[in-house]
Amino acid sequence: MSKKYRQWVKAYQDQAWTVARYILKDAQEAEDATQEAFVKLWNNRDNIDPEKIKPWLMRVTRNGCLDRLRRRRENVEFDESHMAGESSGPMQDLAATETGAWLKRAIGGLKEPYRSLVVLRDVNQHSYEEVAGMLELNLAQVKTYLHRARKQLREQLSEVRP
Amino acid sequence: MNEYDEKWEERINALLDGELSPDDADLLKAEATDDGELARAIIEAYQLQQAMDTLSVERAPDSLRKKLRAIPAEQKPNPFFAIFQPRWAAAFASVPLVIIALTLIQPDTPTERELAQAREEMAIAFAYLDRAGVITGRQIESKVGQTMADAVTGSVNKAIQSHNLTSKENEV
Repeated sequence: MSKKYRQWVKAYQDQAWTVARYILKDAQEAEDATQEAFVKLWNNRDNIDPEKIKPWLMRVTRNGCLDRLRRRRENVEFDESHMAGESSGPMQDLAATETGAWLKRAIGGLKEPYRSLVVLRDVNQHSYEEVAGMLELNLAQVKTYLHRARKQLREQLSEVRP
Repeated sequence: MNEYDEKWEERINALLDGELSPDDADLLKAEATDDGELARAIIEAYQLQQAMDTLSVERAPDSLRKKLRAIPAEQKPNPFFAIFQPRWAAAFASVPLVIIALTLIQPDTPTERELAQAREEMAIAFAYLDRAGVITGRQIESKVGQTMADAVTGSVNKAIQSHNLTSKENEV
């Protein structure tokens, strides 16, 4: 079973990390959230259908991140500058001028479930069906929400582009 | 976003995802030539897709990779606390039940002390019966005659003699 687990880590660690990174916008927290998701995977390895490991893991990672966001909001002492890690400092300002860096921030600014949908579908390149399974939505909902999310991004992009 | 927008979005996204049939794609493009807003939406959608293509799955940092690999070793149950795992807990919980069950099932094997005490109690009981038998015999004699009195006292005396004999045999 440990061998199987190692295969899962190899296959999904980057995808889970990317989801956590986009949702939390904080590297340390994203690392903790990804680690928690894999601990849950290890502890539930006998109860999960091997065919559904990926959607299960992505869902658990996302839910863990959303819990963290909720706790963040509850914590009035939270330092907002901590969240804006990517936009502080001269190097980051330079990077922000590039479309990719701008887009990352724009995706990070979307509300849920739009943000997760864009990350899972457009960044991680999961199929619509997989995304539906991960977010426990039906296919029509996934498409509709994704259209709305992309429209928001498009409108923001048109504002910054000449 | 109104219904009209939703329809547009659906078709634009289908176009970008390659899910629109060639005929439908041509129809959408033809509509866009007459509708500046639709044309702009399609161009922006293409631009967004190009920007999205620059994003990819990020490589997890080495520190995280190391932590994830270490999870199986870290999550192994502590042998000391393993005793409190459900299987063991159930086994321990069943011990008193087994003891009670065995106690109930096992034949009663009294100790020497218990036997001696029982004999003593029996002797007292029979002595009482002896006296009671004599008294009862007298009462019966006065009521119904000697024959009935002998029958009652006789049966009691027989029982006492039999008990005394068994006690002596046990002692031997």
